[in-house]
Amino acid sequence: MKKLTVAIAALALVGTMGVAKTLRVGLASGAYTMDPQAFNETATNSILSNIFDTLVRFDENIKVHPDLAVSWTNPEPTVWIMKLRKGVKFHNGNTFNADDVVFTFNRIKNWKKSGFKGKVSMIDKVEKINDYTVKFITKKAFPVFLRKLTYVDILDKETVKGKSDEWIGLHPIGTGPYEFVFWRKGDQIKFKANPNYWAGKAKFDNLIFRVLSNNATRTAAILSGEVDLINRVPVVDVKRIKNNSKLNTFVKPGLRLIYLQMDQFRKKSPYIKSPTGINPFLDVRVRRALYYGINEDAIVKYIMKSFAVPAAQFSPSVVVGYDPSIKRVKYDPAKAKKLLAEAGYPNGFSVVLDAPNNRYINDAQIAQAVASSMAKIGIKVKVNATPKSTFFPKTAKQDTSFFLIGWASSDGDGSSILDGVIHSKDDVRGYGRYNNGKYSNPKVDKLIEESDANMNPTSRVKEMREAQQIALVQDQNIIPLHFQVDIYASSKKIKFTPRTDSRIWAYDIR
Amino acid sequence: MLKYILNRLFHSVIVMFVISFIVFFIMFKAGDPVQLLLPPDATQQDVIEMRHALGLDQSFIKQYEAFLKNVAKGNLGTSFVYGQPALNVVFERLPATLELSILAMIFSILFGVPLGIIASIKPKAWYSKAIMFLSLSGISVPVFWTGMVLVLVFSVILGWLPSSGRGTVYLFTSAFTWDGIKHLIMPVLTLSFFQLALILRLTRTGMMEVMMQDYIKLARAKGVPRRVIVYYHALKNSLIPLITVIGIQFGQLVAFTIVTETIFAWPGTGKLIIDSIQNLDRPVVVAYLLVISFIFVAINFMVDVLYTFIDPRVRM
Repeated sequence: MKKLTVAIAALALVGTMGVAKTLRVGLASGAYTMDPQAFNETATNSILSNIFDTLVRFDENIKVHPDLAVSWTNPEPTVWIMKLRKGVKFHNGNTFNADDVVFTFNRIKNWKKSGFKGKVSMIDKVEKINDYTVKFITKKAFPVFLRKLTYVDILDKETVKGKSDEWIGLHPIGTGPYEFVFWRKGDQIKFKANPNYWAGKAKFDNLIFRVLSNNATRTAAILSGEVDLINRVPVVDVKRIKNNSKLNTFVKPGLRLIYLQMDQFRKKSPYIKSPTGINPFLDVRVRRALYYGINEDAIVKYIMKSFAVPAAQFSPSVVVGYDPSIKRVKYDPAKAKKLLAEAGYPNGFSVVLDAPNNRYINDAQIAQAVASSMAKIGIKVKVNATPKSTFFPKTAKQDTSFFLIGWASSDGDGSSILDGVIHSKDDVRGYGRYNNGKYSNPKVDKLIEESDANMNPTSRVKEMREAQQIALVQDQNIIPLHFQVDIYASSKKIKFTPRTDSRIWAYDIR
Repeated sequence: MLKYILNRLFHSVIVMFVISFIVFFIMFKAGDPVQLLLPPDATQQDVIEMRHALGLDQSFIKQYEAFLKNVAKGNLGTSFVYGQPALNVVFERLPATLELSILAMIFSILFGVPLGIIASIKPKAWYSKAIMFLSLSGISVPVFWTGMVLVLVFSVILGWLPSSGRGTVYLFTSAFTWDGIKHLIMPVLTLSFFQLALILRLTRTGMMEVMMQDYIKLARAKGVPRRVIVYYHALKNSLIPLITVIGIQFGQLVAFTIVTETIFAWPGTGKLIIDSIQNLDRPVVVAYLLVISFIFVAINFMVDVLYTFIDPRVRM
C-alpha cells in the first residue's frame, strides 16, 4: 500500500513536472540591447525587467515596492540608507551584495554612452556600509529618489567589470525571475525560469518574446494562437479580437500625454504669418482660444476610436501631483473666435504645425484633426508631419512655431513633466529640455524647484498643483490633448494584468 | 581574364567608395541621433556628453576621415543604437535575407522557365492562356496583399502554417528542419510570385523569338526531333537575356525583401535598415549599403562570367 502511494505521488510529480510551460509574447518592438544601462527605451526596459532586479520595483499601478532592497530609511533629507536582501544569487551563481549596487550606480554615472544618467543625476555618492547596507547621498533633498531607482537594473560587479560594452550588450546576467537563453535579433528572445529566484520560481518555465512590428502580423499571431499575449493591439482589430471566444482584450490608461506647444518667446516666429507680423502666440488669449477651439472629443472618438482619454492637465490621475479640481474646458468654437477677436485676430492667422508621423499612436492624423478644428475658428494650420528622426532634432533647435509632441511621466511623479517641459529652459541646471516653445514664468520655476526638494508629500503636492494652476490654467503654456491608452490581447488560458508602466512583467502572469 | 577581373575589382572599389561618401553625407545631414538615443528626461549636459562620446561633435570632414581610417582597419564603426560593431549587426541579419532570396529565386526559376516554355510552344492553347493570365496577376498584385491573404487563409483560418517568424534555425538556415520549412513556405511564395511571373514571361518571349530564327527552321527541315530543338537549340539561345535579368532581379530581391520581411516578421536586413534609418544609426546604414552594393557588384561579375560559358561569341 505504502509503495503504491509513493508510486502515485511520484507519478503525480512527473505529471506536473513533465510539461514545460512556455509563455509566448508578441511585441510591437523588440530590445535594442541586453545591456540594461545603455538605451533607455520602453521596449528594451520591459524585456530586461524580467532578467534584472532593481532595488525597488513598481507594481502594476506604479506604487513602489521593495525588491532587492528590503527596507530603507531617510534619516536626513539627503541621505538614504537601504538594507539589501540577503541570500540572493545572480544567474551565474555569484552572490549579490552591496558591492554590486555601488558598482552599478557608478557605471551609469561614469559611462558616457548610458541613457540612464537622468535617473541617477541627483545622486552624489553611493557608499557601502557593510555587505548588505548601502548609503546614498543626494545632491539636495530628493523626494523622487525611490521612483528613479526603479529604472536602475542591478548588474553583477564580478561578471561585468573589465568587460567591453559589446560583451555586456550580449550577456545579461541578473538576479531576476528569468535567465537569458538566446537572442535572435529581430526575431525572438528566449528566457528560462530562474529556479533560485528569491521570491520563488516563475510559473512559466520558458518565456519567449517575439518581435511582430507589423500590426496585421501581430493580430494574425494572436488569432492563430501562435502567441499567448500581444501588446499594442491595433485599434482597428480590437473588435475582431473581442469577438474571438478564446481571447481577452485589456485596456489600461497609460502615462503619455499628447499635447501641443507653441512658440512663446519670439516676437517674430519663423512659421507664422499674421496680419500684424507679430507672433500671436505671445498673447495668452490666443493660446486659450486654441484650447477652446480643438474638438478633442472628436479626435478621441474618430481618430483614436475611443482608445484615449481626453486630458485636462499634465499627468494622468495615478501620477503624484494630479489635481482633481482641474477639468477640461468644453469645446466652444464661438468662445474661441471671441477670444481671438479680443486679441486682435478676428480673421485669424496662418501657422505650420510640426508633428512626428511615426512616434505616437496616430500622430499625423491627430495633427490633421487639429488643423481642421483650427480652420473653423479662422486659423489656417498647415501640417508638417515628418519622421521622428527629423522632427525631434528640428524641435530641439526651436526651428518650429507650433508642434505636437508627447510626454510620458514614466516615474509616476509629476516632477518629470514639470522639470522637463514646464520649467524655463535652463541647459546648465538641466531644466526644460523639452520646453521648446520656451514658456517661462519665474513664479512657476520657483514652485517647481521648491517641490523638487520638498520631502513633505502633502505640501509638495500643493506646490506642484499650484505650479500647474499657474502654467496651465492661467498661462495656458501648452494645450493638452489626450492620454494614450495601452491595449493588450491575451489567450484566455493565461491570467494577465496590464501595467501602468506598459511593461510586460512575466512573473505576475499566471 | 586576370586583367579583366582586376579592372572590375578596381571599379567596384571606386563605386563603394562613392556610395560610402554619399550615404555618410546624407546621414550626417539627416539630423542628430543623440536626440533619439537619449530619453526625454536627459539633460542638455547628457546630450553634449553623448554627442562627444560618439564623435558627433566633430566636423563632417573629420568624421568622414575617422570613418575611412577605421575602414582601412576593417572596422565600419560601432552602431549608435545596438552598441555592437555595425558590420556584425548587418551580418547577423544577412543569412535570413539571403535564405529567403535564394529560395525564392530557385523556386521562380524552377517553375518560371518550364511554364514559360510550355506557354511559348503552343501560345493559343487554353493552358498557355491560363498561364499567361496567372503571370499577369503575379506581376500586378502587390506583395503586401499576397502576403496578407496567405496569412489569413493558411494561418488564421486553416491553421496549417505559422503566420510569422523564422522557426527553428540550424546552420544559419531554416531549410533543414520541418518546423523551419513550415515557416519558410509563405514568405518564399510571397517573395517569388513577382519573380516567377517575370521569368515566365521573359522565357516565353525569348523562346518565341528564337523559334522564328532560320537555324531553327533548318534544324526542323533536317528532321531534328522537336524535343531537341526546343530544349537544346532554342532554350540555350534564349537564356542570355534571362540570365541578365535573373542577376539583376536577385540583387533586387536581397535589397527589397523589406515588405515580405515586415509581413512575416522575418528577421532579415530589410527590417534592420528601416529601423536604422529611422533611428539615424549611421554606422549600420553605411555598413548595410556597402554590403548590399558589394553583393550587386559580385552578382554582375558572375553574370558576366556565365555569359562566356553559355555563349562563346561573348568575349571578355
